[in-house]
Amino acid sequence: MEKNSIKINRQNSVRAGILDSLPLAIAVFAYGLSYGVMAAQAGFTLLQAVMMSALVFSGSIQLVAVSMIISGIQFMSILLVAFLLNLRNLLYGAALAEGLSQSGRWKWLLATAVSDESLVLGTSHFKKQGPDHIYFAALALTFFLPWILAAWLGFMLGGSINPQTYGLDLAFPVTFMVILVPALADRPGLATCLAGVLVALLMEYVFPKSGLTIIVGGLTAPLIGVYLSKKKLLIEKDPTIISATTLDKEEPIDE
Amino acid sequence: MNNWILIIVLALMTYSSRVMGLELMSGRNIRPSFRLYLNYVPIAIISALVIKEIFTVENGRLTFSPVVFFACLLAALIMKKSSNLLLSILSGILFGVGLRFFL
Repeated sequence: MEKNSIKINRQNSVRAGILDSLPLAIAVFAYGLSYGVMAAQAGFTLLQAVMMSALVFSGSIQLVAVSMIISGIQFMSILLVAFLLNLRNLLYGAALAEGLSQSGRWKWLLATAVSDESLVLGTSHFKKQGPDHIYFAALALTFFLPWILAAWLGFMLGGSINPQTYGLDLAFPVTFMVILVPALADRPGLATCLAGVLVALLMEYVFPKSGLTIIVGGLTAPLIGVYLSKKKLLIEKDPTIISATTLDKEEPIDE
Repeated sequence: MNNWILIIVLALMTYSSRVMGLELMSGRNIRPSFRLYLNYVPIAIISALVIKEIFTVENGRLTFSPVVFFACLLAALIMKKSSNLLLSILSGILFGVGLRFFL
């Protein structure tokens, strides 16, 4: 009986993981096509392009790396930018750690799937359902297969198509914008987003080639979300805080 | 040959950062403030990633891309109304492609 229930739970987790990630997997595929096309332009062989997708499995790192190769940028500079981009994985891993706490040795394999997309879907699922590494494995595989296939197909198409003509370059910003929308429903989320935008713009304006924009934005903007959330919690716990503040403000009007 | 070295080094760097994040934090008591902070990290990072696509750096100057901006805006509005991820993404991309045709 218990075994059956575990089996059903696993099936549910697999189903949820696949269904939740399927719409994004299409965007991942479109993004992977862009990478494949660029890898061909960067002088990679087909095997190198596909192996990079299999071993690195990171859209931002791969696209940045091949675009830097195309621009003739030095090996060490590419590594430095990749290092900076990878710093956010420390935060992603930390956010996902609790949800994968029951995965045992499988964690070493599941770690390969820590990414922007898996973080958003994983943390959202874990918040509702608690730790669920089966869900994470299902979504990882749903992203991995189209990612590899897209690298191969993109490479085969090579320089024969322009990613801009088919809007492949838009898949990345549009997908992330859409993912952001549900998180902006409350004030702390919206304020974090606005702070992220402002910090990113400031960084791009002042240090346009630093490669630090995402790291600095990712580290600083959440502070405003934490501040507003704590303020909201305090008000919920002790409503007199808000009534006192309101009274203070209303006093001069009454007078 | 150099491409293989780059691929392997990037793979090792990326994997290490992922494992370190998972292992260093796994099983530890995370302070509520830090947990709250981590909840907002994706929003901040995704906002920064999107804004970097809308404002690109060309010749050291920030350049606004109306195509990316309006494609994102339309996709966000459709997502807000419909909550349909795929419909929103496809609409945004198609709108952007159409806009490029006219601009």
